[in-house]
Amino acid sequence: MFSTIFKYEIKYWIKNPAVYIYMAIFSLLALTISAISAGFFDFITASTGSSIIVNSPMGVSGLFNGLTTFIFFLFPSIIGTSIYRDYKSEMHTILYSYPFTKANYLFAKFLSAICIVLVITLTIGVAMFIGFRLPGTNQEIVGAFNIMSYLNAYVVIIIPNIFLFGALVFAVVTFTRNISAGFITVVVLMFIQGLTAGLLSEEEHRFIAALVDPFGEASISFYTRYWTVAEQNELALPIKEMLIYNRLLWMTVASVVFALVYKYFSFSQNALSFSFRKPKAERTIKSNFGGVTRINLTKVTYDFSFLQNLKATWRFSNIDFKYMVKSWPFLSIVLVGLIIALIGLSNVGNLFGTPTLPVTWKTIRGASNSFSLAINIITFLYAGMLIHRAKIAKTNHLIDVTPIPNWVLLSSKLLALLKMQMVLLAVIMVSGLIFQISKGYYDFEIGHYIYDLYVLNFIHFIIWALLALFIQTLIGNPYLGLFIMLVISIGMPFLSLAGVEQSIFKYNQGPSFKYSDMNGYGLSVATYLIYKVYWLLGGLVALVVAGLFWVRGLPHSFKERLQIAKFRFKGASLISFVILLISFIGLGYSIYHENNVINPYTSSKESEEQQVAWEKKYKKYENTVQPRIVSVNVNVNIFPKELNFTASGDYVMVNKTSQAIDSLFLNHNSYPSTFKFNRETKLVSEDTLYNFDIYKLKQPLQPGDSIQLHFTVKNKENTLLRKHSPVRSNGTFMNNMELFPSFGYSGGELKDDKVREKYGLAKNKLRPHPSDSTALGNTYIAKDADWIDFEATVSTSEDQIAIAPGYLQKEWVKDGRKYFHYKMDSKILNFYAFNSGKYEVKRDTWNDVKLEIYYQKGHEYNLERMMNGMKASLAYNSENFSPYQHKQARIIEFPRTGGGYAQSFPNTIPFSESAGFIADVDDSEEGGVDYAFAVTAHEVAHQWWAHQVIGADVLGATMLSESLSEYVSLKVLEVKYGKSKMRGFLKDALDKYLTRRTFERKREKALMYNDGQGYIHYQKGSLIFYALSDYLGEKKLNNALKKYIEKVKFQEAPYTTSIDMVNHIREVTPDSLQYVIKDMFETITLYRNRIIEVKSTKLENGKYKVDIEFNVSKYRNDEKGKRFYAEKGEDSITYKAGKMKKPIISVPLADYIDIGIFTEEETDGKKKEIELYLKKHKITKINNTISIIVDKKPTEVGVDPYNKLIDTKSDDNRRKL
Amino acid sequence: MKLIISNLTKTYKNGVKAIDNLSIEIGTGMFGLLGPNGAGKSSLMRTIATLQSPDSGTITFGDINVLEDNMSLRKVLGYLPQSFGVYPKMSAEDLLDYFATLKGISSKADRQKIVKEVLEITNLYEVRKKKVAGYSGGMKQRFGIAQLLLNNPKLIIVDEPTAGLDPAERHRFLNVLREVGTNSTVIFSTHIVEDVKELCNEMAILNGGRILKHTTPLEATKEIEGQIWTKIIERDDLEGIEKAYNVLSSNYNQDNTLNVRVFATEKPADGFVQTMGQLDDVYFIALKQDEPVVA
Repeated sequence: MFSTIFKYEIKYWIKNPAVYIYMAIFSLLALTISAISAGFFDFITASTGSSIIVNSPMGVSGLFNGLTTFIFFLFPSIIGTSIYRDYKSEMHTILYSYPFTKANYLFAKFLSAICIVLVITLTIGVAMFIGFRLPGTNQEIVGAFNIMSYLNAYVVIIIPNIFLFGALVFAVVTFTRNISAGFITVVVLMFIQGLTAGLLSEEEHRFIAALVDPFGEASISFYTRYWTVAEQNELALPIKEMLIYNRLLWMTVASVVFALVYKYFSFSQNALSFSFRKPKAERTIKSNFGGVTRINLTKVTYDFSFLQNLKATWRFSNIDFKYMVKSWPFLSIVLVGLIIALIGLSNVGNLFGTPTLPVTWKTIRGASNSFSLAINIITFLYAGMLIHRAKIAKTNHLIDVTPIPNWVLLSSKLLALLKMQMVLLAVIMVSGLIFQISKGYYDFEIGHYIYDLYVLNFIHFIIWALLALFIQTLIGNPYLGLFIMLVISIGMPFLSLAGVEQSIFKYNQGPSFKYSDMNGYGLSVATYLIYKVYWLLGGLVALVVAGLFWVRGLPHSFKERLQIAKFRFKGASLISFVILLISFIGLGYSIYHENNVINPYTSSKESEEQQVAWEKKYKKYENTVQPRIVSVNVNVNIFPKELNFTASGDYVMVNKTSQAIDSLFLNHNSYPSTFKFNRETKLVSEDTLYNFDIYKLKQPLQPGDSIQLHFTVKNKENTLLRKHSPVRSNGTFMNNMELFPSFGYSGGELKDDKVREKYGLAKNKLRPHPSDSTALGNTYIAKDADWIDFEATVSTSEDQIAIAPGYLQKEWVKDGRKYFHYKMDSKILNFYAFNSGKYEVKRDTWNDVKLEIYYQKGHEYNLERMMNGMKASLAYNSENFSPYQHKQARIIEFPRTGGGYAQSFPNTIPFSESAGFIADVDDSEEGGVDYAFAVTAHEVAHQWWAHQVIGADVLGATMLSESLSEYVSLKVLEVKYGKSKMRGFLKDALDKYLTRRTFERKREKALMYNDGQGYIHYQKGSLIFYALSDYLGEKKLNNALKKYIEKVKFQEAPYTTSIDMVNHIREVTPDSLQYVIKDMFETITLYRNRIIEVKSTKLENGKYKVDIEFNVSKYRNDEKGKRFYAEKGEDSITYKAGKMKKPIISVPLADYIDIGIFTEEETDGKKKEIELYLKKHKITKINNTISIIVDKKPTEVGVDPYNKLIDTKSDDNRRKL
Repeated sequence: MKLIISNLTKTYKNGVKAIDNLSIEIGTGMFGLLGPNGAGKSSLMRTIATLQSPDSGTITFGDINVLEDNMSLRKVLGYLPQSFGVYPKMSAEDLLDYFATLKGISSKADRQKIVKEVLEITNLYEVRKKKVAGYSGGMKQRFGIAQLLLNNPKLIIVDEPTAGLDPAERHRFLNVLREVGTNSTVIFSTHIVEDVKELCNEMAILNGGRILKHTTPLEATKEIEGQIWTKIIERDDLEGIEKAYNVLSSNYNQDNTLNVRVFATEKPADGFVQTMGQLDDVYFIALKQDEPVVA
């Protein structure tokens, strides 16, 4: 019987066009995505990089598995229906009386449906294979076909997932006889998966995450998380313990689910119902014998007017609304969405374990980020459920013959959807308020909530609702409609990859808005709303078309629907369609005009080509000598209300070279500007595209001679669609690089060598090596200046304060504007900024240095911490390195819309509102890092490490500024908060370093030769300098740095390099530790340390003997991430114990590694870790055993227990006893 | 008002000609549409009820051109399909209020009044708060009549309404229908001859998408007066008799003998007894005459 049912089912599907539609959709998706990733669209869009092999085992499994996830949404209508169909057609009443066994029936139904899904999924793999190899793809990034990549993904990941989700959906639909129940199960599972992935992302939970992720992705990333590019490209999918356990676990779950289905399924006629009320059994008697009634219906008035139709629309929408909000798919998605929103909220803006205060904008974003997907899913689903509601309930024939116009029915559905969206937005608001209350934050901004949610967000969801109604009207199956809507809404932003870059061509796309406590939504809201109105019109056009295709009665084919639509296309439909379409296109055209005609549009392809042309045209001037700016005097006028600025300035430039200069390369921006030199010049080349003008000097500038440039610059008029100036209504922050001209070729070349090759460019080396003595002429900040004198007059509106580097000389009011004159008393780098805002000022002093914080009223929370950060950093740097060069230090808040960072200019530190002002610091032991303090310390340290010591523009320059500032920040943090709090910071830095290096697309060099990547100079830099201070001793390291800073501070060219600094450190490093310099600075060296076995025995004298077996090994990476183990030649060492399949290999060891033994002590009910033993042991082989005697009963033992070293698996360094 | 259908044709995608060049005029009163399953009754009724469009032909009701101005017809139309569902979790009262709004009754008081009335007419008033989805078959059919009455329709189309009803329900249902039918045109399809006989002042027999006979029940039986003969025979003789005579029907008796009814102008043979012509006989005669002759 099994084979009969099975064959029948397969035949049913083969004849079912839906299967082919699904296959077509999936293969098209797979084909497109794989072709995009392989650079198929490179001819119309920016070139795809060359470092990642797109069809590597990891690439294949990622894409294959990712696409398959979409098919889960179709499970309810494929696997779910296999039994449901028999109910729906009421075949079950006959079928269930036939002589087959439950097992036959269930297995045949389930397996046949699974087979169909497997076939559909298989087409994804085939389409991927083809997509990667379409003509026109970049075969450089497509590796040889490896069947195992596909098979592994298919067999190990995809098939078990299909079985698991298939069994769940099969079970749910079979028992509830409700397809939507199956659908909700899938959605809820996906949400839960996202939730657990988020919750278990911390390193210590990754083991659990790897086990419990039903998709198996976490168990793959458990191994691949830190894979370098080379490893990602080459290694096979790690089918190892975690993945196998995970698969076994979930296959067991699937089997259990299926077993439960088997157990509880019975060939009965009624669905399983979960009712908590026991139905009262009652005997019903019918007394319903004939009888004749006279029918004389009262006269009532029938009203078919427009007004009545509007009223009816409202009434019907209420009926549909009630139906939705009472249905349990709605309730369950809301519930799950809400939980996720609340959990998402608690993690918002978490930096180093410290959250931010739940200010309103942050709360709204936090809640709506995770909830908006739920709103969309519900909207998409219910658009279909409502449109087909009458048909599903089989009431359509009754409704269709009433004299109600189609538009009333359609718009009542729309209205119902919108009401539901409003309820969902209220859910966001309520959860936000609950969250704020729970955090003790009582500054409720209800108006802000309402504006953000019901004006800005609502319109976004309305536009999706309109399209959903359209799609669901055209498509008879709500689930297929939902699926298509999901693909559209998720895929829309990715159209850019296929060369569709402008938002006016991508449904419901457009610029987003961003809120800051300082300047509100700014101009972003106007632009946002214009695009939304545009798409609203587009959506309404779709709605009118949906009205034309509205099913009334029984059309028998799409052709007939088309005829009916044509027939209906008259009168009001025609008029509204035309009006809407014209407005839609009209508005679209004005946006297009603004973006393409008034302002030239540069597609990413064009900008790539421009980069090429720029390099080809002007790189030859890279090394042509230019005079250098020695003095800057500028006037900047900021108009916060009008969002405009005007500026003028004078540069004094000197020919510092020994040769005469006859041409000046003026490199400016696209702001309307004027330039005038005080010597006679001739403009010989003017480039309005690259704004690179060449002036010929009539009289060459002789060595030592000077020349002056006077310039004016202002912004173009702002329009609603486009802002042409960096000025904000409050919190303006702009620097000289974006405003003012510079001299010489400024770089900005294509980095990817393969792309360069395509355009006929030579490979680029990014930056010269620090050993290249000819390359040390420029700092990495500016190519046209060394140290400058600086003076500025900044004006702003009367209610604002304007700030520039230097000391305030004079402050006055003229014509309702405030003027500030600043002058710097010492030489600074050619790097300065202007700020303006309505500030409150907090003042303090450290020794004789004046400290100021300019902040937004209301952001008082962490001012004290920031003050302390300034003081601590000033103290540490001046005690350990050199005196502070200024008499003042200022922090100036700027809106988060400008970024979430802080930046150190001479005695001036613009500081984002989100980089510390609203941090919610918890000072207790469990609390996270006080980053308001730490970031301040880092930025103040830059006054030394950047503004005193500035590296030449060669590899490794940022180590001198960023890594050192980070080191100082760590040290002052350690002084203030103690060693134990450092572990959180270091672990975070280690994880970020190891994670971010996997995204490296060019090359990763050792710290002292880095290309300026953040993950190297911040994260790796902080780890290394912290460890170094541990190895050498803080004092010894700082003394070396002190000697170094004395040598190089404020130096002129040739500038210092990382080699110079490392040599200073090397000098104080004992021979035994010289290897550390090599490991840390000169190579990429990674450890793999772990405890193998620990035993503690109590001795007779009351002490404890601890026997520890541990492994130490280290390897190196080349710049592509390939491992190697040899120091020189083939001197690597190996270790292989009995059961090990593969030996452990290591670079030869003579390393000093911390061995620590700890115990726990309880004080005030809190457990605290006590160090019983911590000493560096010299390790020369991989496998080691040592015995140590300690005084107290040990509870934990560790090798490198504080994770000072860069260790690719840091969680096995300790073992509890 | 008269319903005039002329030259109506509808062919489905699968090639079935559901309505084949059909023309008929139907006046006020009860009109029974009799035909076997699949005769095209439902197709015809759905087409009249504006649910599907024919390939060709015209339908007018009074001065309404149904195919071009379906909204005007819908205002005066009451339609009860062969089978229908309702929104779950809604009571009869709420659903009827919903339908009343759909049918254009704007005032709330009006709606309440008429809903109450139709509930009383259909004897559902007591169960008005109950969910319609939980109604028995008969109650649900009555609910169908209740919703149909809301707009005081002039043209009522009911598709096989009595199928599956118990006798009491059936009677009650037909009585209500009859009451309504006094002032309006009621087209009512069935394959149960009894229904037509009891109620209709006019009838038509439909098969293969064509009207085989358009008549009144009385006239129809009159037409065959004296031409129906019956005989009690043994089971084994049936085949012979079927060959020899125009047998309309044959039913078993309790003693395993058969009662055959034969259509003939003269007494066909000995043993045949003349009997009263019945509507069933008319029905079978009409269907038989339409059968293709196998040469």
